[in-house]
Amino acid sequence: MMFWATVVASGIATYLMRSLPLALTLRGTAPPWLRRYLDALPIAIIAALAGAGVAVQDGQPTGGAEIGAALAVVAAAAWRRNLLLAVTLGVIAVAALRAVGL
Amino acid sequence: MTPGRAAIIEGWPVFVTALVVGTAFGLTARQSGLTVVETSATSLIVFAGASQFVMVDLLRTGAPAPLIVLTVVLLNARHLLMAAAIRPFVGSVSLARRLGLAYVLTDEAFAMGVGWFRRGHRDLTYFTVFGSLMWCAWNAGTLMGAVFGADVQDPQRYGIDFAITAVFAAIVVIGVRHRADAVIAVVAVLVAAGLRLAGASAVAVVVAGALAPVLSFALGESRE
Repeated sequence: MMFWATVVASGIATYLMRSLPLALTLRGTAPPWLRRYLDALPIAIIAALAGAGVAVQDGQPTGGAEIGAALAVVAAAAWRRNLLLAVTLGVIAVAALRAVGL
Repeated sequence: MTPGRAAIIEGWPVFVTALVVGTAFGLTARQSGLTVVETSATSLIVFAGASQFVMVDLLRTGAPAPLIVLTVVLLNARHLLMAAAIRPFVGSVSLARRLGLAYVLTDEAFAMGVGWFRRGHRDLTYFTVFGSLMWCAWNAGTLMGAVFGADVQDPQRYGIDFAITAVFAAIVVIGVRHRADAVIAVVAVLVAAGLRLAGASAVAVVVAGALAPVLSFALGESRE
């Protein structure tokens, strides 16, 4: 009983956070400062996800392998602007760096 | 290439990761004492990776329900920001479609979708296909882990666990349009990493993601 109440409440709360901004329809135009903020928001959130992922994995601070591989991803993405190439290189880089003990 | 095909071709490393991590979730939940039905229901109802692991851990240790729900809210508060950020791209499609898109709005779908929009595309097919396949991979993985309970090959050995972080990093680099974007991205990376290392895992992404764009007022560059 306690399990189902917890899961359903967690699911509803999560869904409300995902859906409310999408369900709302703004009338008129947003003020310039809000447009500017929303314009910068996507990159900031994705960068925050990347930073958090590089810093800690499975509750442990990550080592040099993740930082090195992240730099390889950044370099590859800046060079070719190809998502699949950059991700593939990153996965290979992190496996190789972990194999050599970083 | 059609948007749907692009979503599959670019998304497959993320789907593989979701399948593997979903299997790990299924295993963990079963070992924590949940039934197969309860385990799958968690993935179907909550559908938010990291917070599900935290939920199962708190359930196992007997935490009170309100505390568990509050923790999940803090962990997933970043989705409010994500939904607000993609609202302009969603435009005026029907409310039912928007509510459907909200259900498959995960970190990965958000990042891949923004990556697509930043390349000048305006269709919602890419996001829809990617989000739906993520949902399939996560729930299929959960069910496999819960039912079979077989050993999962150690994902760290192949570096596949790093794929999601690599996707985020690459999308930022490809999506940066001018100096202000780059400064905001670097600040967000450092704030999120610092908060997470300091132990503030639940709020690291939402705080860094909400604060860094404030810099756009100070950086004062003309847009576009």
